[in-house]
Order: sequence, then C-alpha cells, then structure tokens
Amino acid sequence: MKVIVDLAKCQDHGQCAIAAPVVFQMDEEGKLVWDGSPDESQRLEAEEAADVCPVQAILIQD
Amino acid sequence: MTGTAAVDAAPYFDVTDPSFSIKSAAVHEARERSWYARTNYGLAVLRYEEVSRLLKHPKLRQGSAAWPAHNGITEGPFADWWASWVLNKEGEEHHRLRRLMNPAFSPKLIGGLVPRFQALAGELIDGFRESGGCEFVSEFAEPYAARVIAIMLGIPESEWPVIARESATIGLAMGVTIRQDMPKIEAALANLYAYADELIADRRRGERDDFVSALVRAHRDSDSLSDTELRDGLLLLIFGGFDTTRNQLGLAMQTFMRHPDQWRLLAERPELGGKAVEEVMRVNPTVTWVTREAREDFTFQDLDIAAGTTVHLFSESAGTDPRVFGEYSFDIAADRKPHFGFGGGAHHCLGHFVARSDMSEALPLLARRMRDPRPAGGEEWLPDSGNTGPVRLPITFTPAA
Ligand code: HEM
Ligand code: HEM
Ligand code: SF4
Repeated sequence: MKVIVDLAKCQDHGQCAIAAPVVFQMDEEGKLVWDGSPDESQRLEAEEAADVCPVQAILIQD
Repeated sequence: MTGTAAVDAAPYFDVTDPSFSIKSAAVHEARERSWYARTNYGLAVLRYEEVSRLLKHPKLRQGSAAWPAHNGITEGPFADWWASWVLNKEGEEHHRLRRLMNPAFSPKLIGGLVPRFQALAGELIDGFRESGGCEFVSEFAEPYAARVIAIMLGIPESEWPVIARESATIGLAMGVTIRQDMPKIEAALANLYAYADELIADRRRGERDDFVSALVRAHRDSDSLSDTELRDGLLLLIFGGFDTTRNQLGLAMQTFMRHPDQWRLLAERPELGGKAVEEVMRVNPTVTWVTREAREDFTFQDLDIAAGTTVHLFSESAGTDPRVFGEYSFDIAADRKPHFGFGGGAHHCLGHFVARSDMSEALPLLARRMRDPRPAGGEEWLPDSGNTGPVRLPITFTPAA
C-alpha cells in the first residue's frame, strides 16, 4: 500500500493523524509527517484518513 | 520580552462596543499595519498566513470551553452538556469522539443525499417563486437548514419547527442573559434529549441505512459510543448545523445581491455551486471569529503569548487579506486558497461535507429561478462579531422557470 499526500493541498489540519495515528502524525511545529508505505494492517485506518481529510489531499494506491 | 515594542504599537479594538464591526474598514486598515490587534477579549489575528498557522498551532486549544463558567454556570444539566461537546474536548478524549463520529459524516454517505437536497430546495422555491418576492430567511434559509437536519436524522421533515424552536431557545445561552434564561434553556435541552433518546432506541430496534444508524453502529475495536454520547452527538448535529447553515445561506444571498453578474453566472453554470460556496465563505463567513486559548506560554513571531490568553482568528479579515488575494474581488470562477469559515486543525468543522454539499445544491437552483434579486427593505441582522447573519432578509426578484 502506498500513501500519497498532495502537499500543495494539505493544510496541516491533522484530521488524518486522528483517524490513523500510526500512519500520520503532526510534528512539534504542527506539520504533517507520514509513512508513505505503511503495513497492510493499516489499510482501513488509512482509508478512513483519506475519507476525512477536509481538503481531500490523501491518495491510497494499491 | 522581545515583543514589548510591537505590543505597544499594536492596534486596539473594543469588540464589545456595539459600534465595533469585525468586517469594517477599521479592521482592514489595522491588518495593513499589524498582523494582530489587542482587544478586551484577548488577541485578534488579522492576516491570512498567521490565522492559518495559529488555527492549527499545537500550543493553542479550542477556546469556547470556559464560556458557561465565565458566566457563573458551573453545574447542572447545561454545564454537563456543554462539557460533553466534542468542540469543548481536547487531546485523546476529543480524538476518540471524532474517530467514532467521522464515518457518519463521510463524503460517501452524504453524496447519496444530494437528490433530496435538490428536491427540498425546489419545493421551497416553488412555494414563493411566482409572487416575485420572499422573506429569504423564514421562507428559504431556515426551513432548508432545519429540514436538511431532519433528512439526516431520518425524522419526518414536517417536524422541522421543533428543531428550529428548541434550538433557538438553547441558543439564548450564547447571549449575555445566559443566567436568567437558564431554566428555559434546560427545559428545551430536556425536550431534545427525550427526542434523541427515542431516535436512538428506534435504530437499536432496527437499523436503517442512514446517519443515525451509522452513529449507532460506530465502533473502533471494542470501543463504541455510549447512549449518552450518541444523544450528545445528535444534539451536536442540530446545534452545530442549523444556525450556521441558515446564517451562511442568508449571507450568501447578501453577497450575491451585491454582485448580480456573479448570480447570473451561477444560473448559467450550476456546476460552479461548490466554488460559489467557497467564495462566499471567504468574503462573508458566518463564523467571523474562531476562538483559541493558549495552553502554555509561547512566542509566535516575536510576540509573547501568555498561557490562558484568548486568541480570536478573524476569518473575514484573513479571507480578504490582499497579501494573498490581491485587491478585493468576488469571483466564483476564480481559483482561491482555502478560507477559514469552517475553522481548522483538530476541531475543523465535522459537518463541512454536509454543509458544503447542501449549500452548493441550493445556490444554483435559487439563481436559476430567482433572477436579479434585490433587497426589499426591512432587514434585521445579528451583531456581526461571533456568529452572524440576517434574522430577516426581504427580497424581490424576477421569477423564472
Ligand atoms: C455553513 C455551515 C457551517 C459552518 C459555517 C460551520 C462552522 C464551524 C466552525 C467554524 C467550527 C469550529 C472549528 C474550529 O474551532 O476550528 C465548527 C465546528 C463544528 N461543526 Fe460546523 N459549521 C457548519 C455546519 C455544520 C454542520 C451541518 C454540522 C453537523 C452536521 C456541524 C458540526 C460541527 C461540529 C460537531 C463541530 C465541532 C468539531 C470539533 O470540535 O471537533 N457544522 N463548525
Ligand atoms: C455542538 C454544537 C455547536 C457547535 C459545533 C458550535 C459551533 C460553534 C462555532 C463554530 C463557534 C464560533 C467559532 C469559535 O468560537 O471557535 C461557536 C461559538 C460559540 N458558541 Fe457555538 N456551536 C454549537 C452550539 C452552541 C450552542 C447550543 C450554544 C449556546 C448554548 C453555543 C454557544 C457558543 C458560544 C458562547 C460561542 C462563543 C462565541 C464567542 O466566542 O463570542 N454554541 N460555536
Ligand atoms: S487531514 Fe488532510 S489537510 Fe489535514 S494534515 Fe492530513 S492530509 Fe493534511
């Protein structure tokens, strides 16, 4: 599974980090950091993160 | 205190003065001098970049939690209910509620409601179109906002006046007479609790393919929403979604009456409905400030902000910041940076997919059937700081098919 975030769209709202805390985190500065190829066990949560992102910046591939 | 000199030079506003206007030239002029102003309610942030960063800043929390306590209300059903809101929770407690509630607000579920939003808008417009005039708030914005909620709750749409009435009563708690109004407010709360309990019991007996069932089903691993949390969740929908949507629709009408060419464009190109909503919320948001509170002392751009400081993010001032948007223009076809009308960060509006979807269906239908709308006089408005919008907005127009 590949997790792609369109950083031109991302506004650092951090909703993804609430939905899928293993894959997405907000750093000290409040900026998004994420795991681009997380374990398959994270699929449901990663998809939920893509769903809730207010600006729909997250794409999950294969 | 590296920031002392800048502190003293900062503009000052008395935001409780009835003549203060948050969308005024005075605020815009202050924005050109300084990214922030001081007010009798704490700091006001005026520019796009700074609002965007502070909205999500890890050192700030949502700032509405202390409101009842500021007014001497520390116990009883109202204080308990207030504390239960997701808006007033922080950290892991807040995140748990969001995780459980988010799926019910998913864009996938809401997409299925679009035909019902369209039918509802059409029905309301047909009710007054031929007369060539209407009172836009009571004949369109209010029933539309309340019936969208009824659709989501799966209750008969004819019950919308209950939602409107009880919600208006509880809204008295926003005002300075909150203490005197408390018995009325708590009675309205009890009515709505009973209503919500009945809905939950019904869906527990037999699930449907709807929003309330999605909430009832919501669970993560072994965690799920308790009956109390479910009930509070349903009330959230009513209080978070009703006034806001009604007011934002009224403000949209006001903005378009000032820009008739854009209204005509929207009638010709209904696919611009979504962008029209964004453009309206950028220049004329109903939530004119979003509140934060400093968790601890910190320094932001040379300004020292002490723990406990209230920080108001001025959404209209940020949304019209010439540094980002250039000279003022209202153009529903333009590509713009995001506005702050739904707040941001961890507390970013939970219902924004619903609100965006229902308003972007309503506006093009209105534009097509009501040509050249004009104010007809007799308007009444809420104060323009905090959550604003028209209370009455009589208009006239040329009916079209
Ligand atoms: C035009 C309509 C609406 C506007 C302008 C609006 C605006 C906002 C704003 C500004 C916030 C605060 C965000 C922050 O502090 O950063 C918020 C939060 C919230 N809104 Fe909305 N809203 C609207 C419609 C709705 C609807 C339809 C619902 C429910 C279906 C809803 C539910 C909520 C909830 C539950 C929160 C609290 C979220 C949290 O604290 O995590 N809103 N809204
Ligand atoms: C759960 C449902 C509700 C949601 C999601 C909600 C959302 C909001 C939003 C978006 C704001 C403005 C943004 C902000 O200050 O951050 C706000 C402010 C506020 N709301 Fe609500 N609202 C809700 C229900 C209510 C109700 C029922 C009352 C009254 C009982 C109320 C009282 C207030 C007060 C006192 C403020 C602060 C106003 C100010 O800062 O001047 N809210 N709420
Ligand atoms: S939810 Fe979306 S906008 Fe927010 S940090 Fe995650 S990817 Fe960025």
